Amino acid sequence: MRLKNVTKFHICGLNQEKLLSDLCKKFSLTEIERNSKSDTTFKCSFFEHKKVEKILRERNVKIESVSHEGLAFKAFQILGSYGLIAAALLFSLLYAIQFQFVLQYEVLGLDKLERSEIVSFVKSEFPASKSKIDTEAVETALLDNFDEISFASCIIKGQTLVINIKEKVLPDEMYGEFAPLVAKKDGRISEINLISGTLRVKVGDFVRAGDVLVEPFTIDTSGEQKKVEARAEILAEVYNEGCADHYETYIDVKRTGRKIEQNEITLFGLSIYSFKEDLNFQMYEVEEEEIDLSKNLFLPFKMKKSTFFELEQHTIVSDFEDVKDEFVAKAKEKALKNCENYDLMKEEFFTLRHLAGVTIVNFCIITEEEIGGYETK
Amino acid sequence: MFNFLNEIKQNLKNPQGLDLNGFNIINLSGQLLYVEGHLGLVMLSKELISFKVKKAVIMVEGRDMILSELSDNTIKITGQIKKVEQI
Repeated sequence: MRLKNVTKFHICGLNQEKLLSDLCKKFSLTEIERNSKSDTTFKCSFFEHKKVEKILRERNVKIESVSHEGLAFKAFQILGSYGLIAAALLFSLLYAIQFQFVLQYEVLGLDKLERSEIVSFVKSEFPASKSKIDTEAVETALLDNFDEISFASCIIKGQTLVINIKEKVLPDEMYGEFAPLVAKKDGRISEINLISGTLRVKVGDFVRAGDVLVEPFTIDTSGEQKKVEARAEILAEVYNEGCADHYETYIDVKRTGRKIEQNEITLFGLSIYSFKEDLNFQMYEVEEEEIDLSKNLFLPFKMKKSTFFELEQHTIVSDFEDVKDEFVAKAKEKALKNCENYDLMKEEFFTLRHLAGVTIVNFCIITEEEIGGYETK
Repeated sequence: MFNFLNEIKQNLKNPQGLDLNGFNIINLSGQLLYVEGHLGLVMLSKELISFKVKKAVIMVEGRDMILSELSDNTIKITGQIKKVEQI
């Protein structure tokens, strides 16, 4: 092995004399040998070979081959090799460490259960280390903790824990919340279509809002009670009412347009200035407003502004027959406000009740609508 | 550092005031030619190597010649040197 660190270039191209003359101004060249007109070999320092190569490439000189020799080159080569070996060893070590752990969870065969539910259960109950996971224990734990699972099998494949699950086949009505179906409004039951659960009402019954319509269970032939989802379509005639009162004589109070203003400036609740006009109204109403005069908190000056409006009252006498349509319309409008989500408007009518000086208009709209619902918690 | 060529130049005393600072060529037994003060290669082959020096071109003829060294200022030619000519 030669100890001198040199790099040998084998180049091809024309006008090599000019190239060598230029190169020798920057680098010391040795053993320059012209093999043919366009073929030359030369050597330079190993530590300068990259710069020489760069110049050759800049001048579009064809480099046939580059070879290195010397102690430094060998050292670089060995170091490079050892670096690779070290990297490979480190990688293997890290891979071996992380290979001991389960990194992924794959759950197969799910239909109604949630994957996240199963994975979070397994993660919380069992360690991630492959050597510490007992797949049989995982299977047993899944069967014990999830009623919906009829069969579970686990295997560790690579770094994935594969959980195969078979769910129990339960009727749809056995899923969901087992809350009773209750009436959302008052009404008379007109039609019942029970899907699941036990009925508590029959057609023609009057129910009030909150009454239980369907219980969330069924009783089988052996008398055993089983939880099911209470589901039914229950239609009822709902009486939506609105009323309007007419008084033959009433007092109408109006503002006359005259007003008086009073201002008061306060600091920490104490009055420090006030301006008050004499209040000579027999009837009045007051509007008050408080305004912050300063924006800082050191001296919180406030102005309290009071406006007094003069009022006058008139006695108005009206005959019901003259305004009957107007009051019926008012009552109907109120009744319509109560009609929400109805399926069918069956009938509407109004009644009049004459009392001493008062006539009460009751407007009733009968709608048919689905009244079953669940109580919101 | 001791320089043999500088010593020679000093001992010659140069009575005619010649310009001796252009280039130096030493031929060692016709096997090695050492040149100082070259200004660039002109021709390179195994039989003929020529290079520029101050106000002239030097032609070296021989056989199996190679440029053992080429730096900014010096040239070292090895091989069988037959003729060194200045033109």
